[in-house]
Amino acid sequence: MASRKPYFTVLIIPTGIGATIGGYAGDALPVAKAIAQVCDHLITHPNVMNGASLYWWADNIEYVEGYALDKFASGEWGLQPVRQNRIGIIFDQSIEKELLYRHIQVADGIRATLGIEVVDYIITDEAVGVELKIAPSGTSWGTINNQGTLLRAAEKLIREKGVNALAVVARFPDDTGSQTLQNYRYGKGVDALAGAEAIISHLLVRQFQIPCAHSPALSPLPLDISVSPKAVAEELGFTFLPCVLVGLSRAPQYTQSRNPYSFWADDVDSVVIPINACGGSSILSFAAKDVLIIAVEENQTVLDVTPEKLGLSVVRVKSYLEAIGVIVAHRGGISLQSLQPNLPSLFHQNP
Amino acid sequence: MTTHFISAEIDLTANPLTLKQEIEKRLQEEGKPLRWAITAVDEEKQKVKVEAIVTK
Repeated sequence: MASRKPYFTVLIIPTGIGATIGGYAGDALPVAKAIAQVCDHLITHPNVMNGASLYWWADNIEYVEGYALDKFASGEWGLQPVRQNRIGIIFDQSIEKELLYRHIQVADGIRATLGIEVVDYIITDEAVGVELKIAPSGTSWGTINNQGTLLRAAEKLIREKGVNALAVVARFPDDTGSQTLQNYRYGKGVDALAGAEAIISHLLVRQFQIPCAHSPALSPLPLDISVSPKAVAEELGFTFLPCVLVGLSRAPQYTQSRNPYSFWADDVDSVVIPINACGGSSILSFAAKDVLIIAVEENQTVLDVTPEKLGLSVVRVKSYLEAIGVIVAHRGGISLQSLQPNLPSLFHQNP
Repeated sequence: MTTHFISAEIDLTANPLTLKQEIEKRLQEEGKPLRWAITAVDEEKQKVKVEAIVTK
């Protein structure tokens, strides 16, 4: 397909808000794969791409951490494609020995089987201390009791090992019986871990301005054959780490200087978002630019922040399949109105 | 440095960029924002409710 310039789409599905598509274990990955077929570059974030033991990689999918995505959308940061990153892993001191060894084996396996450059790991000098919370809106969040230990570990990996991407594995509290967990496993409700995970990676990206993604360390759950296909990717192995290492291996670096290979917010043609989660920083930034925003009705969340309530101008579609059609038309320079069964005439009432 | 959850009400403005700037300005009074989102809109009062995590 000929094009005047590369066509960029951003796919946003915020984490921890119970999105019916993308609220579980990488269950929006097929959406990303499909959209990547009809644009030159798809920019999306770990919540969309991370399926624990399951992952996907494509040359035109850019894996951008959420804080960096907000900075990209606001025009403050650009994205600089790379051949391969040098990944360092930060492990929380609270992770039990056997669980830690399982994670280190993932790093070794990823190096041997996928050729990904994991340079080294470090164990934090103190426990990270993650606490999980649910906000009044019903979305998940959390606190990190010891941010200093994470920042010290990251600085050491960057300074002494020359890493330029960070995987973080924090010990999250085990939950074996709550209704929230049960709902999540059955493909309903909110991911209770997600909000705290975002806080950890946002903190490190804000501080060091390099790609980062988080994977929680948890004890395995008892086998339950009723677990939803949307959530089961997180129950296939001992860790959630493989997808993070794959995503980080080719994640673009963040830059503040323009060059012929860097991408900037002004390059973006379209943004695809859930219909009732329009109040994020990236979406407001893109809404202020000349970008087509496509809001997908069937991706419902626990929020009720629709584009109409915020006065945002969007194209509403029923499904991601329809969104893909809109992108194809937009990329081809075809008016969406022309594809409708009825096209009003341009004649004024009294010509 | 510690993480804190805060919620705030901000006037809804027609320009999304102005709205974003007003939100960030308000959050910076509480700390350094890490993550935030508008989680509800009161159309009658023309206010948005923001939930955020800040560090301070």
